[in-house]
Amino acid sequence: GRRPSILVVEKDVRSGIPECFSHIPMAKRIPTAHAHKDVHPAVLVIGQQMATFAIKDSIARLEATLLAFRKVIESYETPKGNSLSRHFVPHVLNPQIEYLTECRPMCYSMGNAIRLLKAKVNDFDIDTPEEEAKEGLLETIDLFINERITLAEFVIARNAAKQINDGDVILTYGRHRLVEKTFLLARENGRVFDVSIIDDPYDRGGQELARSLQQVGIRVFYSPNLGGLRANVERATNVLLGTEAIFANGSLHAAAGTADIAVAATNASKKVIVLCETINFDRERVSVDALTYNEIDPEQNTSDSFRLLFDTTRDKYITGVITEFESGTGNSPAQAI
Amino acid sequence: MAPSQASYAPSLGKLLKSLNGQTLEASIESFIYLLKRRQIKGDDCADATAHLLRQVIAKSKWSDVDQLLTRVQNVGSRLAQAAPHEPIIGNIVRRVMGLIRDEASEDRNADDLGSETASDIQSLSMNAPRPQHPKPAPIASRPQTLTTMPSFHVSKAKSMFNLLSVVDTLDSPVTGASTPMSQAQPTSVSALRSEVLDGINEIMDEISQADDQIASFAEVQIQPGDFVLAYLPSRTVERFLVKASARRRFTVFIASLDPPQASSSTDPYAALRKKLNAGGVKMISIASNGLMAYMSRVNKVIFSAKAVYQNGGLLVDSGASVAAQAAHAYSKPVIALGGVFKFCPEDPSDEIAGETGDSSSYVSYADGSKVDALEVENTVADYVPPELVDVYLTNLGPQTRHHLASIMADHYKPEDVGFSLIPGEV
Repeated sequence: GRRPSILVVEKDVRSGIPECFSHIPMAKRIPTAHAHKDVHPAVLVIGQQMATFAIKDSIARLEATLLAFRKVIESYETPKGNSLSRHFVPHVLNPQIEYLTECRPMCYSMGNAIRLLKAKVNDFDIDTPEEEAKEGLLETIDLFINERITLAEFVIARNAAKQINDGDVILTYGRHRLVEKTFLLARENGRVFDVSIIDDPYDRGGQELARSLQQVGIRVFYSPNLGGLRANVERATNVLLGTEAIFANGSLHAAAGTADIAVAATNASKKVIVLCETINFDRERVSVDALTYNEIDPEQNTSDSFRLLFDTTRDKYITGVITEFESGTGNSPAQAI
Repeated sequence: MAPSQASYAPSLGKLLKSLNGQTLEASIESFIYLLKRRQIKGDDCADATAHLLRQVIAKSKWSDVDQLLTRVQNVGSRLAQAAPHEPIIGNIVRRVMGLIRDEASEDRNADDLGSETASDIQSLSMNAPRPQHPKPAPIASRPQTLTTMPSFHVSKAKSMFNLLSVVDTLDSPVTGASTPMSQAQPTSVSALRSEVLDGINEIMDEISQADDQIASFAEVQIQPGDFVLAYLPSRTVERFLVKASARRRFTVFIASLDPPQASSSTDPYAALRKKLNAGGVKMISIASNGLMAYMSRVNKVIFSAKAVYQNGGLLVDSGASVAAQAAHAYSKPVIALGGVFKFCPEDPSDEIAGETGDSSSYVSYADGSKVDALEVENTVADYVPPELVDVYLTNLGPQTRHHLASIMADHYKPEDVGFSLIPGEV
């Protein structure tokens, strides 16, 4: 539960940011009254939810965005003398995107999806009938959600669950949807294993993961912070991590603390397996440290505290990545897609 | 953990105040009680142990050195066992025992050589090494390694060679009634007592001055424009940073693993922030679990050690190893601060490094069913392996891992190294 922070003019909110981090963006709450008049009500709502981190992880944001865009498309009517293929993107879609970006910097899966959607609009002939174009777009979105989100999640969890053996002690960080699915599926398949959760005290998602795993009879060790990292890594057979994105050089862009765990595991010669849908791969960005692409946590941006939401894990600290298409090192799937 | 230390400080003050008014046994018991409740912890343990041993020397009845050594050893191991997570207690006990052995052997040399020479020897050993080694006879333990049969060298005490080598520990006895030491004259008891008490005072001075002496190296270690990550800054680290801020403009990242407790709305480092800002140094509190995210910006990582083991590994507050590991991944130097009194002539123990503490602040115990099954592990102490430490900054200056053995040898007698293994006897 994030408290809504008191809204001040943007300049003031950012003025407390230390100079060495002043290039890093931060989510902000925009009063709905200040939003562009063309922003669709459904988009207004998810924008607020993203700004307050009620919708937080990359896939949740992607799905919410696509569903909201679905509503935008459904209520769209091409003005007289215009065609959808010319008018929709610049006059309707772009204001939605701008607003969402203002609320919180877009995640890379959203960028990928929007690019695909725009390409689809461009594919339409200038004289494609509006109804047909709208149908086509809605179909694209549905297919996209089915394939890249729902099916991807299923396939990744299934493949990852196969990697879990009886007697394993698997270390994970916080709560990631794919990791949770994998544990539950492996248990369903009859595997007997322990899970060691290191939580992020600024998020505490790990407690919910612990609860959900315990309900199906998985033994859980819970560490509230990275303090017990060495002992936890020592005990673990391998490490299973989720991520927000994977960059073109194979670096993970994941919850701050992920890199610390991957380094500790690598130093202890434990396998580090990362689960990631291909929609979260960014083929254009390269990052070797966490200060290139990141976000400032608006909740911890006060006069006496500062926090980055993400860190960058270099591919040398990753043993393998499991995606819905194939598995390999951090680099190879990025190349393949 | 460092920030909470302040709130426990009154316990130490109270204990020290009560020492004179109480019987010795009552003082020991109340110290053990405070240790077990962790109301005395960290650096304070060293000071409290020294104070208590001072009482042991002053108050207990003893007629020869062996009795005194046994007494100190017994009290020492009771303390050490009450707080196995504080190796620093054992360090002080060893130091005091070494001190007694030194003073005793000096006394006996004095008996053998005549009182005049004895005072010469004393003044020599007291004056020369003191600025750097507050302990009266720091070179004492070295010769031990040169001999194979220490007990046969008693006669050597009279030779000219020995007169020049100042303090002869070759004949310092392995504890036991059969050693020649028990022949020490009862008349020398009060002299020995006051010399040992003086020695303990010097150890206490060393402890109280360590932070300042360490801070005096701050200017060398911190350069203008640095980004220094201070992990859970202790009093030692705070003094170091403040001292550096007098001459250097740099930025300090303060890191810890946990968000500030909801109960304490104030910034635990408000005083430090004020002092640093006054010197033009920026202080940024990093509220983050992981530290890899910030490491590309950081030049060096600083934290204080609770103890330095003989292999060069450190006992630290939980999470300092995360900082050290992140620094290592980015090839940034790690500077561990700690007085020489924290050097512990033992190997690290597995249990201590994984010490777990109160988990109630992390999981609500009102949530009964969940807590029942959940194995919450809140680690409070941690171990940093030697390969992650670049500089050991002590009151004697910066050291590398290769210097540790000689510092250990300078400060402890081989016969006291195994001290903590001796079971306490009442």
